[in-house]
Amino acid sequence: MPYTIPIGPYHPALEEPYKLSVRCTADTVQEATIEIGVTCRAIELVVQSREWVPAVTLIERVCGICSNVHAMTFCRAAEQIAGIEVPPRAQYIRTIIAEAERIHSHLLWAGVAAECIGFQTLFMEIYALREQVMDLLETISGNRVNYGMNRIGGVNRDIPDPKPLIAAVQAMAEPIEKDVVPAFMNNPTATRRTAGVGPLTKDQAIEWGVVGPIARASGLAIDIRSDRPYNAYAELGFKMVTRQEGDVQARVVVRALEMLESIRLIIEALRNIPPGPLRAFEGVPKIPPGEGFAVTEGPRGEAFYYVASDGGKTPARVKIRTPSFVNVPPLEVITIGQQFGDMALIQASTDPCIACIDR
Amino acid sequence: MTKLDQSVADLSHTDLAARVAAIPGSAEAVERGGSLWISAPLLDVEAMAREMKALGYRLITMTARAREDGETTIIYHYAQRREYVSFTTSTRGGAIASVTPMLRMASWIEREIHDFFAVRFIGHPNLIPLLRPPELKNGFFRKPEPDSVATADK
Repeated sequence: MPYTIPIGPYHPALEEPYKLSVRCTADTVQEATIEIGVTCRAIELVVQSREWVPAVTLIERVCGICSNVHAMTFCRAAEQIAGIEVPPRAQYIRTIIAEAERIHSHLLWAGVAAECIGFQTLFMEIYALREQVMDLLETISGNRVNYGMNRIGGVNRDIPDPKPLIAAVQAMAEPIEKDVVPAFMNNPTATRRTAGVGPLTKDQAIEWGVVGPIARASGLAIDIRSDRPYNAYAELGFKMVTRQEGDVQARVVVRALEMLESIRLIIEALRNIPPGPLRAFEGVPKIPPGEGFAVTEGPRGEAFYYVASDGGKTPARVKIRTPSFVNVPPLEVITIGQQFGDMALIQASTDPCIACIDR
Repeated sequence: MTKLDQSVADLSHTDLAARVAAIPGSAEAVERGGSLWISAPLLDVEAMAREMKALGYRLITMTARAREDGETTIIYHYAQRREYVSFTTSTRGGAIASVTPMLRMASWIEREIHDFFAVRFIGHPNLIPLLRPPELKNGFFRKPEPDSVATADK
């Protein structure tokens, strides 16, 4: 006889509040529905009462993991309206922070995935690595999260001595390449729990408009870093990672391999960081009347910011489309026909950020 | 090969502008910030959704902005790789046709706008609250306007 189990709103695996209700026959999921909104902060509304400088600070708090990408994308949208050219050195620093944040986010996610499949030793190794990249971010910005690096027109802090950072980043490459990637790709403990589980076909990925590693794991070759290069990506070059299988394992592998590309990008950026100013101007920005948008490739995929100005001290409108807002709804199809015991892992495989969705 | 892959075969900006201008109620496209913008107050959004889907464009999201006359500006943001197209239109009597029946991923977007701006999306199959806290009424992003066309749902 069919039965329905509510998972959430205090989620047993992901520790963010949302609710997935699954209707099952025996152990097989027949139907799933999602409820969100438990932590709606109405940031889009609140930011309309913040002046342009504190607006960046508020926007950075949309998410605790990919905080930088939100602040950076908001700044880029405002810069587009005002026609502000960000200096090359600031573009490189933004790239370095963005890629370090991607490694941080992917390692966090990989640790959650390892824990979901009961692979505790891998979880511990991944979280030890995550400390290294958070140390790197702290060294550059002074903060482990909410780095405060972006300002409209450039960045707030310099990277005065890149050499020691290069060694620190290189030290992360070997354990990721030799331990984390093979563990997820070859270790039976991982592969038997992830291969063929929670599939999303390429056509479904298009239908649901998913972005980021989930899209790329379903064979959809989209990535803002190559489709519409920004910051220093055009100069540094970029190799996109895709898989065709569309299952949980493919999502794991895409993220794992993306970390290696992020390491390469950070090292290249640190080696080639150009001299020059950190910002286009000093003081408070003046954003003329107008509208514009910016897109960037966050750890979870495309972040989209529409910003409108009426020439005043505050934004007239800020629209935020986070990647999780489009990556979570397909759980209603990904879960169909799957085992109830895999629900935590399948949900985790979409890397859902509820703070981002609810804003 | 998927429809998206096939259609990436490169309409020029001129051809793309002509295609979007031919949508009922549409207007001339203007290039700004590396993207096409179409301002069309009477746009047939269902026809727009069909045409953009046929062109292989992905709906990124929709932006709503409250207007002083009580209506709501709606901007449909589309992308296909490096090409971005935004259609700006308006509600009529506080409502506009839903594109969810032909674009599944539009459902949450329209529900959110219904929560924040009290826009009625005609034809949406399930226009229930998504993000709105239960203690607030629909349209809490709007300035209080007693005579507003888009009055809150009870």
